[in-house]
Amino acid sequence: MKQQIELPSGELTYEVVGEGHPVLFLHPAGGVRWSPFHEGLARSFKVYVPIMPGFDGTPFHESVRSMEALAGVVGEFVDRAIGGNCDVIGHSFGGWLAAWLAVLRPDRVEHLVLEAPAGFRPKGSPGLPREAQALRAALFVHPEKAPPSADPARMLANHQALPHYGGGARDTDDALVARLREIAAPTLILRGTADPLIPDESVQLLRMHLRHAYLIYIWDASHAIEIDQPERMLGVVESFLKRSDAFIVNWETAAVG
Amino acid sequence: MKFVFFHLMPYTGVENTDAGWPVPNGPFDPRQAAELYRVYVDTLAYADECDFDWIGCNEHHFSPYGMMSNPNIIAGALAFRTKRAKIAVIGNLVPLNNPIRIAEEYAMIDCMTGGRLVAGLMRGIPHEYIAYNIPPSESWERQREAVALIKKAWTEPQPFGWEGKHYRFRAVSIWPRPFQQPHPPLVVSATTIDSARFAAEIGATMGMVLLADYPSAQQIINVYRETAREHGWEPTADNILIGMHCCIAETDDEALEQLRSAQNYFQNVLMTPQRNAQRIVLQQTRYHRDEQNREHWESRLRKRAVQSLEEQIEAGVVLCGSPETVVKQIKRANAELGNGIFNLTMKVGNLPDAAVRRGMELFRDRVKPHVRDAVASPATL
Repeated sequence: MKQQIELPSGELTYEVVGEGHPVLFLHPAGGVRWSPFHEGLARSFKVYVPIMPGFDGTPFHESVRSMEALAGVVGEFVDRAIGGNCDVIGHSFGGWLAAWLAVLRPDRVEHLVLEAPAGFRPKGSPGLPREAQALRAALFVHPEKAPPSADPARMLANHQALPHYGGGARDTDDALVARLREIAAPTLILRGTADPLIPDESVQLLRMHLRHAYLIYIWDASHAIEIDQPERMLGVVESFLKRSDAFIVNWETAAVG
Repeated sequence: MKFVFFHLMPYTGVENTDAGWPVPNGPFDPRQAAELYRVYVDTLAYADECDFDWIGCNEHHFSPYGMMSNPNIIAGALAFRTKRAKIAVIGNLVPLNNPIRIAEEYAMIDCMTGGRLVAGLMRGIPHEYIAYNIPPSESWERQREAVALIKKAWTEPQPFGWEGKHYRFRAVSIWPRPFQQPHPPLVVSATTIDSARFAAEIGATMGMVLLADYPSAQQIINVYRETAREHGWEPTADNILIGMHCCIAETDDEALEQLRSAQNYFQNVLMTPQRNAQRIVLQQTRYHRDEQNREHWESRLRKRAVQSLEEQIEAGVVLCGSPETVVKQIKRANAELGNGIFNLTMKVGNLPDAAVRRGMELFRDRVKPHVRDAVASPATL
């Protein structure tokens, strides 16, 4: 159920699902796309999903005109709605935002998960597809798994909010890259092996600059990893959030081979 | 034109083999095996002195057909006994093994040889799947995923993890990395339309062995070329490897006599259990994606099994005769297929090793000089 909270810069709409340690999920530029990944996450965590101002018909906060400023809004949301530390997952645009949040509010971010994060693409990378079919082709290897909320018209409408934050055509956020070393939280970087929007170079750059990071490639997934491979993504994210560095150990029992 | 001295390391001296699979190892004599390994490794090393461009070995399991369950061990044995020729492991059977182990061992060989590895990434023939209890129906899925993972392990500049359908590794960073950058040249078997497409998709050299005739081989080569173009690259002659039995003696008659006896052992002793095992696998699984691929694969072996040696020579699918005859045969095959690499199996079945060595010397002295420049071969490998 959608709720509203009043923040210094304006009102923010959000949803909360599940019970457990708080996890903040920051949505991609297309808006929130509920998927089996979120349902699975909510079985173990209390998942907070704010809708960024200007997306899905919500009003912009007029004073908030950059990704850094938007991360400040998210920090206020964490302080007031969650009221303590949390793990943070951000997808694409949300990953870019999550990285800024981890820079600005290291006191609040315990673990950081960057799913196909934008903001680190090579200079001159093309913008997001502007046509429905091309957008679906870029987001999904398995479009048959896409939920109704992945309606291309809705996603394309949400993309119109990007210029407000200076992110419409941005490839590399140099200011953020320069501050990546400040992020202390253990960070999990995810890239789908078939992602045409975020190349290997982007996640490799992140892996190189972050002090405490893991990079995992998800086979047979495109940009929307949580929709193409929800079980795989849930398995690795849940393991990372629960076990931290020890998530690299195989804790399962299985027959050899 | 380049030539591979390829060895299966067959176990010789078996009178006949039971039709069942796997082949019972009761008659196996370790002392004989020790001697065979010594002779075979000596022979492979001698290929470096006989002007062969590559020295080749590969992986087989559970029968006297080949004694290399891990060809990387043989490659390691050859690393410091050879100086010039590339070491072509063609190859490891990718879906049967741990892909990270393949990436590691190939990187070791590449460093140990100063960058002389040619890395074969084979899907494996159907019955090999029994050995390591891998579902043949998953062969393509595993092959595609594992090859992508191996290439990632070779090229990724920092530690990474992999979350796949068949393979999951949370933290990978191989030591050593390959000597050749970004990675060693790849060879992939292409005996079906699907495998030819896959080879072209990943930019690998295609390899085809035990041809039945030229038209079916040309069809596969055309598929490979077309698919490569669709993926933005143009194969050269050096991207096409054709494997053939090869017997070179002083005279045509001598070579015919030697190869006839050797092929008898190859077809009737070494191949029989495999054919039966393959029949079981192919009937019960989806090793091949569809009927077209299956028929292409099976008809080749069916036809090959009943061809007389004379028919094989007539069809141009074996090289057999005096050096002068073999030169003509190589030029004919090359003109028909446009390949830049011949993969020569000179130890066919139980052909005596002394005859193999003599054939290698005849190749060096009286064959290679006449075919070395027969085809312009841009150095893509």
